[in-house]
Amino acid sequence: MFGQGLLKGLQITLQELFTKKVTVQYPEESLPLAPRFHGEFVLDVEQCIACSLCANACPNKVIEIETAKLDKKRVLTGYMMRLQYCLFCGLCVEACNKGAIRFSQKFEMAKYFRDQIPLILYKGEPPVQEEQGNTGITAGEAEGTEV
Amino acid sequence: MVENIFVGFAEWLRSLLAAAGLPALFGDIVLMIVKVAGILAFIAISVLWIVYMERKMAAYFQARIGPNRVGPRGLLQTAADMGKLISKEIIIPRAADKIVFLLMPVLIFVPSLLLFAVVPFGKNMIAVDLNVGVFYFFAVASVSTIIFWAGGWASANKYALIGAMRAVAQMISYEVPMVLAILGVIMIVGSMKMSDIINAQQNVWFIFTQPVAFIIYVIAATAETNRTPFDLLEGESEIIAGPFIEYGGMGFAMWFLAEYANLILVSVLATTLFLGGWLAPFGLTFIPSWVWFLLKIYFMIWVFMWFRWTYPRIRVDQLMNFGWKVLVPLSLANIFVTGIGMFIYRAIGW
Ligand code: SF4
Ligand code: SF4
Repeated sequence: MFGQGLLKGLQITLQELFTKKVTVQYPEESLPLAPRFHGEFVLDVEQCIACSLCANACPNKVIEIETAKLDKKRVLTGYMMRLQYCLFCGLCVEACNKGAIRFSQKFEMAKYFRDQIPLILYKGEPPVQEEQGNTGITAGEAEGTEV
Repeated sequence: MVENIFVGFAEWLRSLLAAAGLPALFGDIVLMIVKVAGILAFIAISVLWIVYMERKMAAYFQARIGPNRVGPRGLLQTAADMGKLISKEIIIPRAADKIVFLLMPVLIFVPSLLLFAVVPFGKNMIAVDLNVGVFYFFAVASVSTIIFWAGGWASANKYALIGAMRAVAQMISYEVPMVLAILGVIMIVGSMKMSDIINAQQNVWFIFTQPVAFIIYVIAATAETNRTPFDLLEGESEIIAGPFIEYGGMGFAMWFLAEYANLILVSVLATTLFLGGWLAPFGLTFIPSWVWFLLKIYFMIWVFMWFRWTYPRIRVDQLMNFGWKVLVPLSLANIFVTGIGMFIYRAIGW
C-alpha cells in the first residue's frame, strides 16, 4: 500500500528515540583501543643499548640518537623524535632488538606550538669523564627548534 | 485559580487602573501593551527552547545525546549560539541592495508577531478574537513569502535568488491545499472565529471528523515552514543556504528564529482547528486550559520534528507534482465529501 514505507520510517525513528544512546562522551570516557595501537612512543631506557638500529630503520629520519663512549661502551645520552615527520609506520619498533622503543596507547598528541612537537624520550647527562658533544647533536639542539 | 491566573491578572490590572481614576481607554491601552509584551516573551522563550528541543530530538532520533555541555543538560546551548551570532560582524555584499538586505531579516518577524494576536492561548486568553481569525491568519502568513523573496533578491547572489524562487513557488503552491483542507472545518463550524472553532469541538475534535483534512494540513504545513522533507530552500550540495546565503551573524539568526516562530504558528493552527485548542480531553478539566493548549502545540511541534528527522528530502519537481496533483484534488474531494455529509446530517435532522 502507498504510504506504508512512510509509516515504517516513523516507527523506526520512534524506536530510536527510546533506545540506548551510542554516544561516547569523549574527553571523560573513550573507546577501548586495540593492543597494537600505534600511539605515542615510549622508550625503555634501561633496555636501550644505543645501537641506532631504530634510527636507521626509519624512512623519514625522525629519530635522533645521541651517544657517548663510557669505558669503550656506547651509552645513550639523548633520544629525540621529530614527530611531525613520523608516519607511525612502526619500522623503528620492529627494528629494535631489545624491545626498548614501543608504542603506547596515548593518541592525544596535539600541541599548541610547532616547537613542542619533537618528542624527547631521553636526555641524560653525558658521563663526566668524556668530553661533551663529540657525537651527535648536543642536548641544547635536541630541544627541537629545528622544523 | 491556576486556570484564571492570566485572565485574573488582566482583570486586576484593569481594576487597579480604574481605581487610580484613569479613563477606561487608558486602561485598555496599558492592557494591550502588557499583552504584547507577554506574547513577545512567549515567542522569545519558546523559540529558544524549540531550537534546543530540535537539536536534542535530532540527536535522540539518531541514538545520540545532543548538546550537553553548555549549562545543565545543554540548556544554555541556544543562548550561547545567540550570543555568538550577535557578536559577529554583519557583512553586506557589495552588489547587494543594502536597505532591503538589512530590512528583510527584521521584517520576517512582523507577520509572525501579527499572527500571534489571534492565537487562542486559553479560555478568554486570545489577544484579539477576530471574527475572521482563520482568514486573517492565512492572509498575514502569506506575506512572509514576499519577505523571503525580497531577502533572496537583495542578496545579489545566484544561489540566494534560486533559493528565494523556490521559497515562493513552494509556499504559494502549498498554501492552496492548506486553505482548501481547512475549508472543511470552516464549513462544519460556520465561522472563522478562533474561539467559535474551538467551542465547536466540545464533543469531538475535528481530527476525527476531518482526518483527511488534518493529514493534508500537516503535509502542507511542513512545506510552508520549509522543513524536511520539503526543505528545498536550503541544500548544502546545490544551493547551500538558499535565500540566507549572504546573511551572517544576527541577520541569519533572525531568519532562523522566524523559521521556528512559524513552526509554532502552524502548530497553533493545527491545535486550534483539529486538536480542540484549549479544550481538555477525557474531562481532565482540573488542568488549566492554557496548559492543555501548550501541551498540544508542543506535541504538534514534536510531530513536525519527528517528520524532519525521519524523511529524506524530495526533489523540486516531485514537490510541485505532489502539491498540485495529489494534495489539491484530495482537498477538493474532502470539501465535496464534507458538503455531502453535512447535507445528509441536516436532512435527517441532526
Ligand atoms: S614509526 Fe616509522 S616514521 Fe615514525 S619513527 Fe618509527 S620508523 Fe620512523
Ligand atoms: S631503541 Fe632499540 S633499536 Fe633504538 S637504539 Fe635503543 S636498543 Fe637500539
